[in-house]
Amino acid sequence: MAGIGLSGVTKTYPGGVTAVDGLDLTVHDGEFFALLGPSGCGKTTLLRTIAGLEQASAGTVSIGDRDVTRLAPGQRDVAMVFQDYALFPHMTVLDNIAYPLRVKRIPRAARHDRAREVGAGLDLADLMARRPAELSGGQQQRVALARAVVAHPKAFLFDEPLSNLDARLRLSARTFLKRLQRDLGITTVFVTHDQAEALAMADRIAVMDAGRIRQVGTPREVFGRPATSFVAHFIGSTPMNLLDATVTGGRLTLAAGTLPCPADLPDDTRVTVGIRPEYLTYSKDPVEDALAGTVGIVEHLGSSSLVTLETDGAAPVGVVVEEGAEPEPGTRGWAVPRPGRVLLYRAGGGDLLA
Amino acid sequence: MSAPAVLARRAMARVGLYVFVGLVLVFFALPLVWLVTTPFARTPSYRVPAPSFTLHNFRILWDNPYAVRSIGNSLVLAGGTAVLAVVFAGTAAYALSRVRLPGRDAVLYAVLLLSSIVTGTAAMVPIFLMLFQLDLIDNRLALVLVLTGGLLPSAMFILKDFMDTVPRSYEESARVFGASPFQILRHVVAPVVRPGLATIAVWAVVQVWGNFLLPYILLHDPAKQPAAVIMYTFYDEGGQPNFALISTFSLLYSVPVVLCYLVVNRRYGFRFQGGIKG
Repeated sequence: MAGIGLSGVTKTYPGGVTAVDGLDLTVHDGEFFALLGPSGCGKTTLLRTIAGLEQASAGTVSIGDRDVTRLAPGQRDVAMVFQDYALFPHMTVLDNIAYPLRVKRIPRAARHDRAREVGAGLDLADLMARRPAELSGGQQQRVALARAVVAHPKAFLFDEPLSNLDARLRLSARTFLKRLQRDLGITTVFVTHDQAEALAMADRIAVMDAGRIRQVGTPREVFGRPATSFVAHFIGSTPMNLLDATVTGGRLTLAAGTLPCPADLPDDTRVTVGIRPEYLTYSKDPVEDALAGTVGIVEHLGSSSLVTLETDGAAPVGVVVEEGAEPEPGTRGWAVPRPGRVLLYRAGGGDLLA
Repeated sequence: MSAPAVLARRAMARVGLYVFVGLVLVFFALPLVWLVTTPFARTPSYRVPAPSFTLHNFRILWDNPYAVRSIGNSLVLAGGTAVLAVVFAGTAAYALSRVRLPGRDAVLYAVLLLSSIVTGTAAMVPIFLMLFQLDLIDNRLALVLVLTGGLLPSAMFILKDFMDTVPRSYEESARVFGASPFQILRHVVAPVVRPGLATIAVWAVVQVWGNFLLPYILLHDPAKQPAAVIMYTFYDEGGQPNFALISTFSLLYSVPVVLCYLVVNRRYGFRFQGGIKG
């Protein structure tokens, strides 16, 4: 077992596209680590660079205390699960799981015993004689995981491990994957574009954009205090309200009202105010220090609803309202931020100010 | 027109169609019927024989010093060429499919175009002269190499298409587990493209089996000549065809190719099991 260290890693493809740009990152031993970002942000390239399937153009990759930058994938002692699982179609489940041991020239009987043992642990005992085409998506995923487990690597690398499962299965696979990782205690890096998946599973998350890391932190940190307005916008199942404001005499002036300013900023500073809809309280009566608007759309989220307050000419404000307390569209409403939940970003897609 | 008249016309048209189709079928079936029945006829000739049965013609065939041996020669030539073509075309196609070379497709098309010349009639004289200078006339290995060379471009072209369909994640997965390129080819790529390899093998066998010109020019010893060339010698001194020999030999000549196809189709089946979830 081992941590993973990246220092100054850059990957430039022939043709000049820089997918990963001077990136430093440390994944601790035994950690479940998520690389999160929109498509094209370089997260898969980074994972493939750790695996050795891509050669870093600059910088170093180390696994444990070994510099593996120039080593072939097979010498890095990692196991990778691909988005399409990449199970060998002509081999049975048993042979698929035993394949890493076949490469290590372990005798057939021994490797089959080991594969059966691991397969049984992943609930595959009855499927050993089947071929991948005869399995469901969830079963295929478990075979791919078993094949990675059998290799007994220093680290697991998962590329979008859940994206080929249907929504219901994805939730149970999430729990399953997290338990598996905790039981094995093997350092794991997984790539996802789904922020809910990253928040649910990871010990720590790196949010990536345009080949760079925008924030590294625990799910709580990344969700509660996004480091930039990009991260703020990307994280959260209901998008964060990002509203233009100006500082005037220790208060924030927005299109929909004024709020107390949480930081000491000079007058006329232009900022972007970030408040999660979950951290706003709806009021049907006028209140102090609130954002006012007309109720536009009400979206049902299950145990709560997302109410959109339309403000004249400015961005609408989303508020999460308890089930049963939804206002009528067309009425006036006020949204009060919970104390300590108002974030300020430098205007124009900038960093966190307070 | 009344309804019965219309029905009658339709019936007549249908009868006419069936008669025509029947005649066409007979026309094309006759050679096959000849091939299957004549070897067993008492007096073999050009005609499809009246029903009679004898194995005497096979006795004549067996006594011919070159006939049976030539089938063996054909098997050696066809088998050798098929193995070489599959191995060389397979490895070349894999490399061409995976390595980015500038102008790769242009090279592939150029080779394909030129290949029709290599073993085509146009190159006969230079090939003969070259092998003559190298003292390789009557050398079966040399003939196999020439035949393989002629088949390689098309085989590479076809196999490259097969290789292109193998998802890279299969190979990358094996690579991360530490498999060497040769192991990947053997364990993963070759089994997945097995239908393609089988196709190339059968195609190579059929090509060599029916090839007359090259073995005729490059092999002069009748003991080494394949069936397609030996068949040409089954005439008596007056130039009359020896039907007892030709008919039995034709049957014997076609059996291996049919068997080859059946075995390959049964064992390898031209199918592809998907292992990619999508």
